[in-house]
Amino acid sequence: METTALTAKENAKQAKKMKRSETWRRIKRNKMIYLMILPGIIYFLIYKYLPMYGLIISFQDYKPYKGIMGSEWVGFEHFQRLFESTEFWMIFKNTLVLFGLQIFIFFPIPIIISLMLNEVRHSFFKRGVQTLIYIPHFMSWVVIVSISYVMLTLDGGIVNAILETLGFEKINFLLNEDWFRPMYILQVIWREAGWGTIIFLAAITAVDPQLYEAARMDGANRFRQMWHITIPAIRNVIIVLLILKIGDVLELGFEHVYLLLNSSNRSVAEIFDTYVYVAGLQQGQFSYSTAVGFFKGGVGLAMVVFANWLAQKFDEEGIY
Amino acid sequence: MSKWKKLLGIMLLLLLLALTACNSDSASEDDGSTEGDDTSEESGDSGEEGSDEPYAFTMMANLHTPEVPNEKVLTEIESATNTDIEIQWVPDNNYEDRLNTAFATNSLPEAVFLKNQTSFIQFRDAMEDEQFWEVGQYLEEFENLSKLKENVLDNTRVNGNLYTLYQGRPLSRQGLIYRKDWADNLGLEAPTTTEEFMEMARAFTEDDPDGNGKDDTFGVTDRSDLVYGAFKTVSSWFGTPNNWGEQDGQLLPEFMFDEYKETMDFFREMHENEYINQDFPVTSKPDQQEFFKNGTAGMYVGSMGDVGSLHNDAVAINPDVEFDVHNNIAGPDGEFGIWAIPGYGSLVMFPKSSVETEEELKKILGFFDQMMTPEVINIAYWGIEGEHYNVKEGKALPVEDQDLTDREVKPYQAIEIGEPETNGRYEGFFDYDVKAKSEELFKDNENHLIEDPTVPLYSETYVNDGARLQEIITDATYQYILGQTDEAGFDEAVEKWKSEGGDAIIEEYNASK
Repeated sequence: METTALTAKENAKQAKKMKRSETWRRIKRNKMIYLMILPGIIYFLIYKYLPMYGLIISFQDYKPYKGIMGSEWVGFEHFQRLFESTEFWMIFKNTLVLFGLQIFIFFPIPIIISLMLNEVRHSFFKRGVQTLIYIPHFMSWVVIVSISYVMLTLDGGIVNAILETLGFEKINFLLNEDWFRPMYILQVIWREAGWGTIIFLAAITAVDPQLYEAARMDGANRFRQMWHITIPAIRNVIIVLLILKIGDVLELGFEHVYLLLNSSNRSVAEIFDTYVYVAGLQQGQFSYSTAVGFFKGGVGLAMVVFANWLAQKFDEEGIY
Repeated sequence: MSKWKKLLGIMLLLLLLALTACNSDSASEDDGSTEGDDTSEESGDSGEEGSDEPYAFTMMANLHTPEVPNEKVLTEIESATNTDIEIQWVPDNNYEDRLNTAFATNSLPEAVFLKNQTSFIQFRDAMEDEQFWEVGQYLEEFENLSKLKENVLDNTRVNGNLYTLYQGRPLSRQGLIYRKDWADNLGLEAPTTTEEFMEMARAFTEDDPDGNGKDDTFGVTDRSDLVYGAFKTVSSWFGTPNNWGEQDGQLLPEFMFDEYKETMDFFREMHENEYINQDFPVTSKPDQQEFFKNGTAGMYVGSMGDVGSLHNDAVAINPDVEFDVHNNIAGPDGEFGIWAIPGYGSLVMFPKSSVETEEELKKILGFFDQMMTPEVINIAYWGIEGEHYNVKEGKALPVEDQDLTDREVKPYQAIEIGEPETNGRYEGFFDYDVKAKSEELFKDNENHLIEDPTVPLYSETYVNDGARLQEIITDATYQYILGQTDEAGFDEAVEKWKSEGGDAIIEEYNASK
């Protein structure tokens, strides 16, 4: 009895060992490939996972000179403070609204542009337009925002000068909370729309031309071809990009919003990123701002999981 | 396979070489110039032997010019003080971030300049925790440092201890710079009351002061800064206290005083009538100055000393331009007052994390002691005689080439310690008599100072939350001036300020009085 039990155990052990050595053998066989992914793993460990250790300070009353080991633990105090602060819902709402603008207004635009560009048969013109619209991507937000500022200011800005000569009232674009969101999304489109077309255009070129021929034979016009062939063909790409975009849920471009932010539009423009920056780096509340960042990251993670789940529900591939 | 091995071998060898090279590099530096980790013994040794090795250390300072300066002047300072200094220049507009980041990551250099009073308050906590060297006890040992003004030092004490050395500043440089030629065209005198100020702003906007027949001018040019821009200065003309004031025996913040509201009304009126640039809450300092230099605006409220550089640039655009400075503007009660700083601009502190021993500290203090001798401070402040400035009537006259000064000298003014009275550097000689007048008016301002009563006081809530709370008031002030909120809205903001920590600040200040 005993011996059999023992052997069974031993057998299991043996099997495990075999399995392990099998794995090792496989790794050994492909060692060059594993060596190649090593830098990637190290990169993620050092730059993405190791810093997470710092999240600890959001549960502490962190004093830089005492270090993480020496600072006092305060539990969820900072989170409590965040959720109780009058600004929390305002910031949360603002962040979501800007995110909504990004998803519902900005996201479709590169797709539409690339579909339109795809219909352009004159390749010189097509390339020209494409190049022109993606150049702004290489300008920093400072440049984009400064150009807008110069154009929109009340003190001699060209837009207001035109409005005035046409007999309209001047509009205070910069210091008015109603204009913040339109300004924000228009600048995002200005800078990123062209760049966003690249990946969609690439996906479109991969569509089998025979499909178009067949459709033409069936009498489909250009619009029909686009609707029934091009769009379904790039649907996967659209969905993957949409999920990735949702993953960035709370990454709305700190620099951009921070540059547009001022005393008059704070109630619609303050988002998590700007709040973390001001509270953390300018006012030295490290623990609190880490807690805010932590919360933000949590929401982002939840959104990606949700979006991916949703994609799979609709029989799409998702990203994992 | 063997090829791979060879390649790997070569790469390893290279890596090894690189590592050893770095190592020996830093090692030789340690032996030679740097007093690295094992300084205590080394500096002790060199002290006994009277060695001439220059003492090496790093400092972090605020860069007010667009470019990092070349090292010409620094080399002179180093050879005069027998040091080897590395300065980490940090641009002014993100100085606070860098300071906080360096502090949080424990990477502050040996000597760290704070940006201003606000940063000092933020670091009080850490000073109290003895994260920085107490320097008060050593000052006696140094001939020049002991000359630092007692009353300014008192303003920088934390619980009676001194952790910083200060950089002196005139108590108040605030005033009005205006277009003298425009005023003459319209027959206006320099304003002596806030009413006349408003009248000048109106006339400069509506009466075509440049006589070109076009409606292309306005009165006051301002920027997105309620303190160093026009607001606080005009506010003190109205008699608003400086940050905090006393009412019925209780200390209250400035914005709870009627005078503050009067100032807001004043600005609201100017804004409504377009006597001031309409977008001033988002205007940068260069843009603000541009309006003044290119003849769009005629009045500039701020540091009167700016008139020199403003004039320099303005005559390049329009040679006929004439500026004047003025300070004495009385409020509705007939009194003239002007807000004062606590006598220092920046402060330098010495973190214990990087200055590990008393010997090291003394060496660095020794450097700043030498910085307070006329020979060294004149190099740091004015540059090299004959090349960057000339002495005229016992004062320093910078050479014409402003770019040269900006590039090679001006940044080093940020590491000055003390002020001309204590460190004996040359005062400036100004060819441009309006600039000279502005220096006179700094002194005149001293007769009308409004001091900040909270400078020697302490409030923990203010240290932790003051900056965030101030934002509420700043936003409400702008919104009131722009007409986006009314008095009730402003009062609401004040209530919010009080409920989110302001009450505690009031209490703590009054308790520590």
